[in-house]
Amino acid sequence: MPDPLPAPDFDPAAAFPEVTRLRAALAGGDWPGVRRLLEPLDWDGHTLLVRVGGEVEGIEPFLRAVLARQPDDTLAATLLASHLIEVGWGIRSDARAAHVSREQFDQFHAHLRQAEQLLIDICARDPGNVAAWQLRLPTAMGLQLGQAEARRRYDRLVAHAPHHLSAQTSLLQQYCPKWSGSWEKAFAFAHECTLAAPEGAPNGVLVAEAHLERWADFDTSAQRARYMRDPQVAKEVREAAERSVLHPAFQHRPGWVSVRSVFALMLSRLEMWDAARAQFEALGNLGSEYPWSYLGGAKGYVRYRAEAYAKGRSR
Amino acid sequence: MIQELDVDGVPTLLAPTGGPMRAGLTFRVGTADETLARSGITHLLEHLALAPLGLADYHVNGATAPAFTTFHMQGSAQDIATFLTSVCANLTELPTGRLEVEKEILRTEHSSRGTAASDDIPLWRHGARDFGITSYPEWGLGPLTGDDLRQWAARWFTRENAVLWIAGKAVPAGLRLALPSGVRQPVPAASSALPQTPAYFVGGSRAVVLDAVVRRRTAASVFAGVLERELYRALRQDGGLSYQTTAGYEPRGDGNATLRALADALPEKQDAVLGGFVDTLAKLRVGRIEQADLDAVVAKREDFLGTAEVDAARLPSYAFNVLTGERNLTVDEHRAELKAVDTDDVHEVAREALAGALLMVPEGHRADWAGFAEAPTRSADTVTGTAYREKEGDGELHVGVDGVSWLGHGGPLTVKYAECALMLTWPDGARQLIGADAISMRIEPTMFDLHPGAIRVIDSQVPDDRQVAMPARDPERIPQPRAAAGTERREPVKRSWWEIPLMVVSGLVALVIGGGTFLLTLGMFVTETAESDEGWLWGVIVVGWLLAVILALPIVLLRRRRR
Repeated sequence: MPDPLPAPDFDPAAAFPEVTRLRAALAGGDWPGVRRLLEPLDWDGHTLLVRVGGEVEGIEPFLRAVLARQPDDTLAATLLASHLIEVGWGIRSDARAAHVSREQFDQFHAHLRQAEQLLIDICARDPGNVAAWQLRLPTAMGLQLGQAEARRRYDRLVAHAPHHLSAQTSLLQQYCPKWSGSWEKAFAFAHECTLAAPEGAPNGVLVAEAHLERWADFDTSAQRARYMRDPQVAKEVREAAERSVLHPAFQHRPGWVSVRSVFALMLSRLEMWDAARAQFEALGNLGSEYPWSYLGGAKGYVRYRAEAYAKGRSR
Repeated sequence: MIQELDVDGVPTLLAPTGGPMRAGLTFRVGTADETLARSGITHLLEHLALAPLGLADYHVNGATAPAFTTFHMQGSAQDIATFLTSVCANLTELPTGRLEVEKEILRTEHSSRGTAASDDIPLWRHGARDFGITSYPEWGLGPLTGDDLRQWAARWFTRENAVLWIAGKAVPAGLRLALPSGVRQPVPAASSALPQTPAYFVGGSRAVVLDAVVRRRTAASVFAGVLERELYRALRQDGGLSYQTTAGYEPRGDGNATLRALADALPEKQDAVLGGFVDTLAKLRVGRIEQADLDAVVAKREDFLGTAEVDAARLPSYAFNVLTGERNLTVDEHRAELKAVDTDDVHEVAREALAGALLMVPEGHRADWAGFAEAPTRSADTVTGTAYREKEGDGELHVGVDGVSWLGHGGPLTVKYAECALMLTWPDGARQLIGADAISMRIEPTMFDLHPGAIRVIDSQVPDDRQVAMPARDPERIPQPRAAAGTERREPVKRSWWEIPLMVVSGLVALVIGGGTFLLTLGMFVTETAESDEGWLWGVIVVGWLLAVILALPIVLLRRRRR
């Protein structure tokens, strides 16, 4: 085992310095600066920054002021929608529905409705705005607009950005039973997206995510252990890994940290230690809230990493 | 070229046609001129005018709409002359002998007609009055008398309030429109039951329907065409979500026009149809009008204007405009107006339409997430009055001097007597009050702890001419509260297996000991006993009685116990 490994860093800024600059521009009320940062990015980078930008606290008044001056500024509207969605989900929390109060739900829905109405307008003006369509997936899910409606939004998005991974991850969540979907739908979608994407693309992570969600949904640890011993599960995750993170053509594009994290987790659980260790080596000390929040955050990360290093061989 | 003539004081329009001769006599009267308590009077009159003609399937020769009633006929000049002459004669000399028969026919017609997705939209937009009356059954039929009908005919079915249109060579010879003199009646003002728009309500069908009212203009008619094309592309062609996507435009007669757009959906696609519909409306609202759509719609209309039959086809709407005083255009003027419509004009219509829109969504869905306010399903206020509790549930009925309120789960329902459009009454005491705002409340006396006078109070406060008696109900259909049976009924006690044998055994032993002790006691009194034995024997007797009592105890206790 190597020297004591550094503590994990879940901040997206660690992988993408643009995040730090964006946060500074937002906090400093520098709208032209914000625009300059986002303009040159492709949709993967754009949706990542919109999500992370929305997480900055207290930016609502600033964004509303920008919109008051420039009502047609779709970027300001998109960031505001992203922020409202963040705040809304924060109020609702990650708990299962039964543990969320009436109050929380009301505020949650109110925030999502505001965001949704902004987004309806943006998509009406700019139908190719992938970031806006992307945000309409969590709003549809939170407002319970229906499975077919979520799919319709996804279809509108991928017409402009095929293989857009964040959209696929969002739709995969919607397809899970916890959001009124079914395991058949979730897995079928994951496989469909994985095969449709070129080799070396990150989309294979969807198969791993589907299995992760299935595993997390079991009630007892015995059921969970049995699932991870299923050779079919191992086969699917391994094939998905070979098509993505283990493939020579795999690149570190925006979102790569959670892609490798999901595989690090799943490959560890499936006891494919060499491949798991390779993920941790590539990650360094970087991590992401999803999927590590399912396993106690940084603590889980450290535990899994230690085991992968102990049991896996370095390349 | 539409010629404007006059026949017996009735403005007449004549246009040539290559097809069979046809004609229509239209009056400026309809359901919007009625009150809910007398709804159906125009339709009944229409039927009475047609019935004596002996035509098979005559109901297709007449139509009662919200603002117009029309009699029309296709055939030879002679047939048309006879038809229209007879209709006018019947309107002035009403065949009231057929009154009850035609009422029955109308009731049957109503119950056998299918329901259309958009039937309820008028009452949601307007309430239980004027343009909303068309959504309701013709409850007013029952009380209508021959006199009522004659009065209605005398006021509305007059020369000045009519227009005749003929598609043919000339006015048929022998045509007599013997109608009384009167005045042209303006289209009634349209009420609103929507405090906030855009609004939505949950309808019973599987379709999403948009209803909008805009100022009448050529651009608005073009907008309907553009909307239809957008819905077709978004919902049917691209998404395979809807089978039927339509949009229509119809002048209302008061300077405004109604826009209606519909998209149907399979149950598993309804949410996507709603979402796609909302996005399509948003696209038009922000002004992304496709020039290609505009051009296609205008081209289609221009094609129609270029046909030889255009004037004959335009006659009915030309006639409506004469009756309402709205302007009529020549074909060339129409063409010019169409050419002048640009995307900005269509955008303006879209904004106007959406601002006042009413959206009908399928069961289980909402549109508040898209910025549509929920159309009211409850009343904002309640009346004070005597409170009566519901027998089942927590509801309460308040009967007051101003009106009636029901307070309960979901919010209050209130109908004030002065604003009661109609009260249906049943012989068993049930009442249904419908407010002018379309809030409807059914009172079933069997389900409330009502004072007998409560219904009498309501009856005395609602004006007589707003009350309609319904036929007696089958007693099975009168709701009753559950569990009317008493709770005093004794349930057989369930006993454990050991209780009865225990009772028997202890009973027998008690009997033996009691019996023995009794005999001993008797013996003590009857026979002589030795002094030395007496104390001991009395002791035995006391113990014996005690034992007997103790052994009898289980029987008593077990019998008294209730599960």
